[in-house]
Amino acid sequence: MEETITPAIKISDVRKRYGQHEVLQGIDMEVMPREVVCLIGPSGSGKSTLLRCVNFLEVYDEGEILVEGALMGYEMQYNGTRRRAGEARIRDSRRDLGMVFQHFNLWPHMTAMENVTEALISVAGKPRATAEKKGMECLERVGLAEKAHSYPAKLSGGQQQRVAIARALAMEPRIMLFDEPTSALDPELVGDVLQVMRSLASDGMTMLIVTHEMGFAAEVADRVVFMEGGSVVEQGPPDKLFHSPESPRLTAFLKSWTHRNGQVA
Amino acid sequence: MNEVGFILSIMPGLLHGAITSVFVALAAISLGIILGITVCQMRRSQYWPLVRAAGLYISFLRGIPVLVILFLLFYMPSAVNIEVPSLLVAVLALGLNTSAFQAEIYRGGFNSIPAGQIEAAKALGLSRMRILTRIQLPQVLSLTGPELVNEFIILFKNSSLISVIGVTELMRRSEQLVSTTYKPVEVYLAAAIIYLALCLIISRLGERLKGKH
Amino acid sequence: MDALTTFLLRWQSFLAENGPDFAAALWVTIRISMVAIVCGLILGFAAELGRRICPWLRRPVACYVEFFRGTPLLIQLYLLYYGGPRVGIVLDAEPAGMLGMSLYAAAYFCEIFRAGFESIPEGQREAAHCLGIRPWRRLWRIELPQMAQIVLPPAVNQIITLIKDSAVLSIITVAELTKTATRIMNISFEIVMPLCLLALLYWIISEAVAVVSGKAEARLTRHLTR
Repeated sequence: MEETITPAIKISDVRKRYGQHEVLQGIDMEVMPREVVCLIGPSGSGKSTLLRCVNFLEVYDEGEILVEGALMGYEMQYNGTRRRAGEARIRDSRRDLGMVFQHFNLWPHMTAMENVTEALISVAGKPRATAEKKGMECLERVGLAEKAHSYPAKLSGGQQQRVAIARALAMEPRIMLFDEPTSALDPELVGDVLQVMRSLASDGMTMLIVTHEMGFAAEVADRVVFMEGGSVVEQGPPDKLFHSPESPRLTAFLKSWTHRNGQVA
Repeated sequence: MNEVGFILSIMPGLLHGAITSVFVALAAISLGIILGITVCQMRRSQYWPLVRAAGLYISFLRGIPVLVILFLLFYMPSAVNIEVPSLLVAVLALGLNTSAFQAEIYRGGFNSIPAGQIEAAKALGLSRMRILTRIQLPQVLSLTGPELVNEFIILFKNSSLISVIGVTELMRRSEQLVSTTYKPVEVYLAAAIIYLALCLIISRLGERLKGKH
Repeated sequence: MDALTTFLLRWQSFLAENGPDFAAALWVTIRISMVAIVCGLILGFAAELGRRICPWLRRPVACYVEFFRGTPLLIQLYLLYYGGPRVGIVLDAEPAGMLGMSLYAAAYFCEIFRAGFESIPEGQREAAHCLGIRPWRRLWRIELPQMAQIVLPPAVNQIITLIKDSAVLSIITVAELTKTATRIMNISFEIVMPLCLLALLYWIISEAVAVVSGKAEARLTRHLTR
């Protein structure tokens, strides 16, 4: 039976400029519910900028980003123009979006549990006991239940990132954004974080991931999008993209990557 | 706007005073740098009497107001019937005060040079003096640049206090002008503008020097 | 031995005669400094918070801070005390001194708070943003607790500096420590003892504040410790 499903994220002709330099040159992209999409590309390609535009941490100048059908960051006026939405409105629109950062961004003066429960208490209004129960569940989910009362300084990078994932999960987002989640980690710690992300994907979370981990993308992504110089060069299922790339730029990018890291998958 | 015209007319007179302020400040800074580095080295030496003495020097001169140092140097000599010229007292007082603060600033700088560099220099046979001048000081001065510029600005503002011992610098000139023109607001505002401008110049110069590195 | 006894006796009689005056003056210095410090902290924090919240306050606050940090305290006091009457502000020496020092202190504390805020990585604010945490809550739970630790050493330094700067008030005739010492010098023709006592008192205050705050800082860091 055919059903029109609203995309979780719909990006239409989005452009962004820094002064003279056009960082995003007309991006069109969709992420369907329960889909895992990986954004790959060289540095400076605009992939992190695009990700940050999705939850309006960065402002996009032209085009539309619809999150679950709702316009992100802007309000339509009666006369057809649009203007920047107010803080409260943006906060609301972010409710179903969770974000995991490259540098974790945990609050260092709070324990893991306190980091995870802070938003539950102050934003979702849950009483402390309920929040801590939920917090413990999330920490168990990422395998760090026993570190609940440790401070970030005492945790390894991989553990900190997993706490950051638990913190985002606690608010029960429907879509999770990952901005190079493993780029700041020592190689031996990367695996633990990828494992958590793998299990999130198999549980059906909608995920948009900016990453350099091609092996992970090949294994977990439903679709891979290759960006360079501010535009989407090629996109498709990982099999096709990694083993029979169409565009020469993607071929060159993959070649230099496998040269440094070995085969993708 | 009579006020603006008035302020402009008194500027030349005030600027004469400002020149004295600048000269005194420069002299005090130079004294401060030499004393500061010396005391800092004393503080870092292996002979504990030197360390103790330096510690006391720094603690005392940082612990009392500049005004009190000025009075001490100005009035104490008269107890033994010696009269020291105001200008000299001014430079000494400001210089001693800043030397104590600078000693601490330099200490931080010296401490942040990795010990390995000194070891390498010693292994190559460089003398202590050479290590100090060729390896340590250049790095210390560039590391502590911003703090030093800040200290100079503070010193320049402190130079306003030397007016109380009779040095005719910017502050004194303003007071004299007020007593003849009865326009305290305009005169002191004009003086304030000059101080602001000079402090701005100092911090710009500091930024330029930092840019060079 | 004889010289020592004379020395001690001279000090004893000096202190007996002038001790009370010095004590009273010490109290004046302390109370003026405390008022300036407290007002300065409150006003400085309000100014910094204000300009973070209301962008249109940035220019005025920046000008205020630039003026009060870029000019000597002495000029500010002269403007207030001697220039004030011209614009309708007539204050006695001590209130003028308190007001002048408070405005002066606030500018410095404002900058200290600014550095404190800026030293918190922006990423932490972004994470709070993404989780939907409101700005006031973020301020209370995330920014201020970290700032307390960061801001303490420079704030303490500033407090000690302010206590010493209060000596400048003597020039506008406030009857604090320095003015009292010079007055006693003039009426008793003693030079060495008043000045030494003056220096000693300031030195003790500075060291005492440094030591006490060092202990307080250790205590605070232990409380916030990882």
